[in-house]
Amino acid sequence: MIAEVKPTATATLTLDGVEVSFTEGETIYEVAERAGREVPTLCYDARLEAFGGCRLCVVEVDGMRAPVASCTTPATAGMVVKTTTDAIEKHRRTLLELVASENRENEVDELRGHASQELKSLLDRYEVRGGRFAGRQSGTSNSTDDNPFILRDYDLCISCYRCVRVCAEQEGDHAITMMNRGFEKQITTEFNGILKDSACTFCGQCVQTCPTGALGDRKAMRAESLPGEVEKTRTVCPYCGVGCSVDLLTKEDRLVGVQPAMDGPANEGALCIKGQFAFDFVQHEDRLKMPLVRDEDGELHETDWETALDRAADGFKKAAGEHGRHAVYGVASGRAPHEAAYTMQKFIRAGFGTHQIDNCSRA
Amino acid sequence: MATNQELIEQWWKEEAPLLPLLHAFHDRDGFISEEAIRAVADGLKIPVAEVFGTVTFYHHFARKAPGQAAPRVCTGPACKYLGAPELLKSLEGATPMACAGRCDDGVPVLQGHEVRVGRTADSLEKTPSPLPPPNPGNVEECVFAHIREPERNTMEGYRGYEALEKARGMSRANLLALITDSHLAGRGGAGFPTGKKWEMVEQAEGEPKSIVCNADEGEPGCFKDRAILDYDPHAVIEGMAIAAHATGATKGFIYLRYEYPETFQIVERAMAEAEELLGDGFKLYLRRGGGAYICGEEGSLLNSLEGKHPFPRNRPPFPVTHGYNDLPTVVNNVETLASVAPIVMKGAEWYRGLGLGEHAGTKLVSVSGDIQRPGNFEAPFGLPLLTLLNEWCGGAPEGRSIQAVTMAGLSGGFLAGDDLDVTLDEPSIRAKGAFLGAAGIMVFDDTRDMVEVAHCAMEFFAEESCGKCFPCRIGTQRLTERLNGAAGPADETKWREEVHDIGRTMMATSACGLGVAAPNITESLVKYFPEQVAASLKNGR
Repeated sequence: MIAEVKPTATATLTLDGVEVSFTEGETIYEVAERAGREVPTLCYDARLEAFGGCRLCVVEVDGMRAPVASCTTPATAGMVVKTTTDAIEKHRRTLLELVASENRENEVDELRGHASQELKSLLDRYEVRGGRFAGRQSGTSNSTDDNPFILRDYDLCISCYRCVRVCAEQEGDHAITMMNRGFEKQITTEFNGILKDSACTFCGQCVQTCPTGALGDRKAMRAESLPGEVEKTRTVCPYCGVGCSVDLLTKEDRLVGVQPAMDGPANEGALCIKGQFAFDFVQHEDRLKMPLVRDEDGELHETDWETALDRAADGFKKAAGEHGRHAVYGVASGRAPHEAAYTMQKFIRAGFGTHQIDNCSRA
Repeated sequence: MATNQELIEQWWKEEAPLLPLLHAFHDRDGFISEEAIRAVADGLKIPVAEVFGTVTFYHHFARKAPGQAAPRVCTGPACKYLGAPELLKSLEGATPMACAGRCDDGVPVLQGHEVRVGRTADSLEKTPSPLPPPNPGNVEECVFAHIREPERNTMEGYRGYEALEKARGMSRANLLALITDSHLAGRGGAGFPTGKKWEMVEQAEGEPKSIVCNADEGEPGCFKDRAILDYDPHAVIEGMAIAAHATGATKGFIYLRYEYPETFQIVERAMAEAEELLGDGFKLYLRRGGGAYICGEEGSLLNSLEGKHPFPRNRPPFPVTHGYNDLPTVVNNVETLASVAPIVMKGAEWYRGLGLGEHAGTKLVSVSGDIQRPGNFEAPFGLPLLTLLNEWCGGAPEGRSIQAVTMAGLSGGFLAGDDLDVTLDEPSIRAKGAFLGAAGIMVFDDTRDMVEVAHCAMEFFAEESCGKCFPCRIGTQRLTERLNGAAGPADETKWREEVHDIGRTMMATSACGLGVAAPNITESLVKYFPEQVAASLKNGR
């Protein structure tokens, strides 16, 4: 791949009275964010094309008749930008009051998803207590979709379309769509059906970018009522060779969920269905904790490692002795770390003298 | 009956194929089935979910029987007072539709590809749309100068493209200078200087360039583009061809609103007649919308043409550099394009001189509602509004007086009382907080409940809001609820505060003109009719 040549031309603009430099192609929002301004937004996801829907990121630009959405407005040289005037802050509060008015509640458990607290944090920051602009609620939750992974609680949806866009732009599934117009807008799938019948691959990216918890991680939500705080531990997904960074969510040493790391160099917030949802094996009651060997009675019995390894070695030796070294074929587990994979191929190649070694991640 | 495969074969290689392909299925089956959506998605290689979402965006794409066969009755603000609600009830299986652009001759009922007009079920009749009446002010016209000549909508009646020939003999620079010098500006309402727009497209990099004629006349109370296209379509086609010559464009699109099926046929015929004169260098396409007011917004229109979800686009970039297929594109209103050929023939000075005083040129105005002589009129810019209403249109019906008028269809809000003393030009009307825009003027006499009229208007904006941006999507809904008492404070002070706060934020932060303009309705209602607002709140609405 040829490295992208970034334009080097820089210019400056005035941001809240301070001169800041920027690179051509940057938006006002990006410049402001880099300069440490906390410009509020609900429809912005750095990985996606700027959308300009929530209008919370509006700023004043000298010479412009009305405020502009900073996320979609390119920075230009000499621009004079004000990010937090009284008028702008009042509009933001009104917008948040309007958004708050369309949902039944705005408190959701953080286990619902990575971004699920965004709306709540903004309501707190602007001290929006609800009650103003009462009226009909928007969005209808899909109660028939009983898939085990993704909760579709559209009563909490604010139509920011981050789920639609992440599904199209990042995952390329185009499983999620927008039905109807205006206040009747409804996030759904083709023919307003269930995810299983759509192009969805259950990667969970829609869940993790949802700023209200309208889309919820059903697996993690099982632990909502467990005691303890949610702790996050950064690690690498154990499944395949891509090396997606994840945050393991735990409550009192119990693994309760997985969230993709938005800054993971290999995945930038993406995961697949396995990395996202398939972690139950870790604490599953059927999980092997002791080696088992099959006795004369044909049943598996617990034993110590010494005995088990001897039995395995005997089996390998017997097979290779009777049928030759190519009778052995090793498949390393994709869940095992690189070091284990290396040891495995060494074991097969040096130990048995065959090249019949593979890894399940190729499948 | 064509098979799915035949329909796809017919369209998939064409320009802007999604809308015509959806129409082909809609026309064949009367509705767009799940199978049709899958076939279209497969045929055009668009994800099924996207096609589904896009189909649901438009009003007129039915998804089940009887679909297209069921009557749709215009319940726009003018037709509402012409008996539309009763007509709607009396027609079996009828559903309401937003203003269908026949306010001068309501009530239109759309069924299949036919519009019938009448006030009662028995009187519905298929009649041609009204021809603009002879100019009551006896002033010189530009766009309507020849529209009343018989057979004007045929090539024979139009007598060839003399202006195009003349324009093609001119250099691009001279042609652009002529249009700039005429001070012609966007007549769809935005008023951007036409010469400047063409020049930007001419200079923009990227090919092929396009000329898009915005004929998605969806603003309630506006029906001027229908008159032009019904009676003088060649003026528009010739204007497009001249624009193409001036900018180097090789493709042209006419995006016509769904509700004008007869106009579609007239324009289609005119295009066939014009093909030879246009030549190989300029190919023209006609596309029918699916019923969505927002598609009159140029970004939405372009997305709709391209087969995308018809949300407005973020600006910049503008269509002059990133229009159809992200290439340089002129988007002009029907009226703007129809003004071009006369300007080429008679000159910039002549056109400028048509306006009164400092003002250049003319504006078509659609007048409807409680008025003696509704219709389309070509007025010089600067004409006093009261001259138009009282002298040209005969004033309010016998025994009544004008209580209020809307401006820019609905988008400009109301003007009333002393503020009716304005002249027809933006500076004068904007000074009163309204704007002229596409110049639809609906008149409401002293018997009308203005809160009810405002509710009808806001309900329209709420139904037509695309749903992309928060202030418009939620704001239009909340304002509608506050105008009919469905929700909101009963206390007048609190009510005003909420309505004003929502309106201010919509005006300042909405992503396109719809959300910016909609609160003009509530702001002007409160300004001119505070006692009606108070009374309606007191009565619990």
